[in-house]
Amino acid sequence: MISSTVWIAGIGAVSAAGDNIRSTLDAFASGRRNPIDALPFQSTVACPTFQVSADLPTLPDRFNSSRTLRLAMHAASEALANAGLEGVGPPMRVGVCLGTTVACQLNSVEFYDSYRRGAEPNLDPVRNYLQTNLAAAVAKLLDARGPRMTVVNACSSGTDAIGTAATWIRAGLCDIAIAGGADELHRVPLAGFWSLGVMSAQPCAPFDRDRSGLNLGEGAGIVVLESDAHARARGRKNGFAVAGFGMACDGHHLTAPHPEGRGLHSAIRTALDQAGIAPPQIAFINAHGTATLDNDKAEGKVLGHIFGGDVKFLSTKGYTGHTLGAAGGLEAVFTLLGLHEGWVPPSAGFENPADDIPVSPLHSAAAVSGQFALSTSLAFGGNNAALIIGRHD
Amino acid sequence: MSRAVATSLPPVSVLGIGALTPLGRDIGEIARRVGSPVQYEAEDRRQTVPADRRHGLEARATSEQLPSTPTLAKRLRRADHFVRMAVMAATDAAQQARQTCAGVPSEQIGLIVTSGLGPHCRGFRFLDGLLDCGDTAASPTDFSHSVHGAAAAYITELLELRGPSISTTDFEAGFESGVLLAQCWLAENACQRVLVGAVEELGDVLLHCASRLRNDSEQAVAGEGAVFLMLGPRDMTGTAHLDASAPRLKLENPAVESQFGRSASLSAFALLAALLAPRDIDTAAKSLSIEITHACP
Repeated sequence: MISSTVWIAGIGAVSAAGDNIRSTLDAFASGRRNPIDALPFQSTVACPTFQVSADLPTLPDRFNSSRTLRLAMHAASEALANAGLEGVGPPMRVGVCLGTTVACQLNSVEFYDSYRRGAEPNLDPVRNYLQTNLAAAVAKLLDARGPRMTVVNACSSGTDAIGTAATWIRAGLCDIAIAGGADELHRVPLAGFWSLGVMSAQPCAPFDRDRSGLNLGEGAGIVVLESDAHARARGRKNGFAVAGFGMACDGHHLTAPHPEGRGLHSAIRTALDQAGIAPPQIAFINAHGTATLDNDKAEGKVLGHIFGGDVKFLSTKGYTGHTLGAAGGLEAVFTLLGLHEGWVPPSAGFENPADDIPVSPLHSAAAVSGQFALSTSLAFGGNNAALIIGRHD
Repeated sequence: MSRAVATSLPPVSVLGIGALTPLGRDIGEIARRVGSPVQYEAEDRRQTVPADRRHGLEARATSEQLPSTPTLAKRLRRADHFVRMAVMAATDAAQQARQTCAGVPSEQIGLIVTSGLGPHCRGFRFLDGLLDCGDTAASPTDFSHSVHGAAAAYITELLELRGPSISTTDFEAGFESGVLLAQCWLAENACQRVLVGAVEELGDVLLHCASRLRNDSEQAVAGEGAVFLMLGPRDMTGTAHLDASAPRLKLENPAVESQFGRSASLSAFALLAALLAPRDIDTAAKSLSIEITHACP
């Protein structure tokens, strides 16, 4: 039962597709994507990645050691400005709920190598790690004193964080919530995904017949959520809102999705129920679409089953790469942009329909009209999330 | 420090408790030992850790006895200590609550797993492979088990849970935030039950770091283990009612720390102590930003 509307008061995004909302839209309009073969760190893994070129903010003290945190603050600053909020300190009741994968682990290879060699390694990486828990650090930097949570649900973290923050607002725990996700490109997950055999040596091709795996990326996608009472007090009468959210687990396998997308199906149904709408009312879907064989097959089955063969959907990972904990945040922003702009870009990388997927994504930019759009996320551990964004005129 | 939030969320009922702690796994045994002095030594580690790498006292939990059937043993064959601790505590909590969960659809049972450091030992094992074999030849099994959500994945698979599942990390108040989210889920009927827990493991690398980071005069005991609670709506009969939404000052509690060891999830162990040993509830409860009411032994 939704007690009141949870508004999306502001959005911010930084990824390989763009340094901000404006440049991201430009990239989508031109169909431009920019995978880079050279890595920003030493590794023997050879594959394209999607890297952020923006000038990121310089943060005080140890906070500056975390590129993930700097990405998050870059996008949060844009989102807060977009929301018309100069600050979120007391007496405002502000929560912070952010997803990540890289920032939750002490994965300094240099530090650990030194430790293994029997040395007493410099402890700065440890100190930095302990002080840059993503939600805690963002809350401290913004002086936000409401509830906080760093979600580590792997690739669905950003979506889950937005859904959780919306829950906080409905429960009256805070009036404003900064939510989404952030992740930097890092040597350790790069080697990890390589070890799993799910990375492509080519620019990724989500839902394509010849898809051969994902490309990693980095970025941050942040939304500023606001309670209805707080928004109305600031004069808001229309805009975009979190219309529905669903989260469900497969309970199937540590890394592979359920072959029939059991959890995703449940998550989407929950989100539709919460929004009080039927599948035909969804104007378009920003799918998870990683370009791995298993994800796209399972996700395509579910989308076809619930929304039918003519479902209008795309994956934006062809523009950003798979940004892991940031993906859900970025794709929520992209979903809202599609509703706002009235068009969505082609699903970059898609050329040929796949025999094992019953539906195909958009091959070219398309106009979209309607009140609602859906963003889906699937993750390690069998987590699935569905977020419906609605326009309230 | 707790982060006070003011709201009117209804409390939740504790329907089942499961724990794997340095004081044991049996809830009755833990209840008997709570409040009694405990002496921890690092004997087991002195055989494996070089003298110059030894550090402070450790309160370790044992997870080896878990597999009770060949099927379970097979399904847990790749699981590490972190995952096994979580599975044991979660399974026990679910088992204790089985009567009150009878008839509840699996889609209506949520899971929240909180931790500070997560499965960091497996993460370092993955780095071992990366350093020894190169970036293109590290272990996929170690990588997939090094993510924070690994424990939740095992729990949902083994207990056949299909509801919402979330893993979180925080070094200060992760468990309290987990209980608070469980209250939210139950209040808006996102699910009918929520299994919420905390897991921490000890590892050589971070113990080494901790010994160098802390004041030499400190005699802290480092701890590990897992605590899980099956929670339901307020109107159900349970061990106690919990409310993490009430503004409340959280105090240091050396007594709980000396028994369960220091960890990022100390609050979960303090809550366990308060729930299991009502005579010590006032002492243990002071270290929580979670309000406990209607506790009965």
